[in-house]
Amino acid sequence: MSQSSEIPVVLPAALHARPAGAVVRIAAAFQAAIEVRHDGRTASARSALRLMSLGAPAGATVTVHAEGDDAELAATAVAEILRAAS
Amino acid sequence: MDMALVGIVLVSHSGKLAEGVRDLVRQIATDEVRVEPAGGTSDGSLGTDFSLIEAAVTRADTGAGVVVLADLGSAVLTTRTVLEDRPPGPVLVDAPFVEGAVAAAVIASTGAGLDEVVAAAEEARDVAKF
Repeated sequence: MSQSSEIPVVLPAALHARPAGAVVRIAAAFQAAIEVRHDGRTASARSALRLMSLGAPAGATVTVHAEGDDAELAATAVAEILRAAS
Repeated sequence: MDMALVGIVLVSHSGKLAEGVRDLVRQIATDEVRVEPAGGTSDGSLGTDFSLIEAAVTRADTGAGVVVLADLGSAVLTTRTVLEDRPPGPVLVDAPFVEGAVAAAVIASTGAGLDEVVAAAEEARDVAKF
């Protein structure tokens, strides 16, 4: 059964290069299609460059959106990585 | 390591540039991916060197394929000459040097196959920095 899950995250640090890489690596462990949304823009969690291109600064709220059988687990895992960003 | 990962070769006119990008990429993509710099000439000056590139391609290859990024002009030409002399497999991609290396190495670190790593590097041409 396909699910959809959405989790808002307040970024403790900017979504810069290292967190973007970490998001791509964790996202690859799930079937779900995962996106990160910020300020009306959307980036695939498969693309470190597109995630960086969102330009999300520390303190910004981003939304993790996942779609697929393991959407809830996937969104939770990516949100955790973003909350731990430094 | 259980699974072979696609390796990355960074061909630059400058040893410092190739090594600097390698260091940066390691921070972002972990050090599980083999990122091999091939910058400058064998005597340490600016330029490109057939045998340095050849050795880097060999080191980067752990069985899953190799993606090669080149900075400018003769880095492309010398790399082509190296690849023509080898069995087919390693892919020279047309991509920005820094962004392409980061995108390729991050995807490679997930265990993605050669086609997907090539696509990630090429996609870097079209992604705005901000």
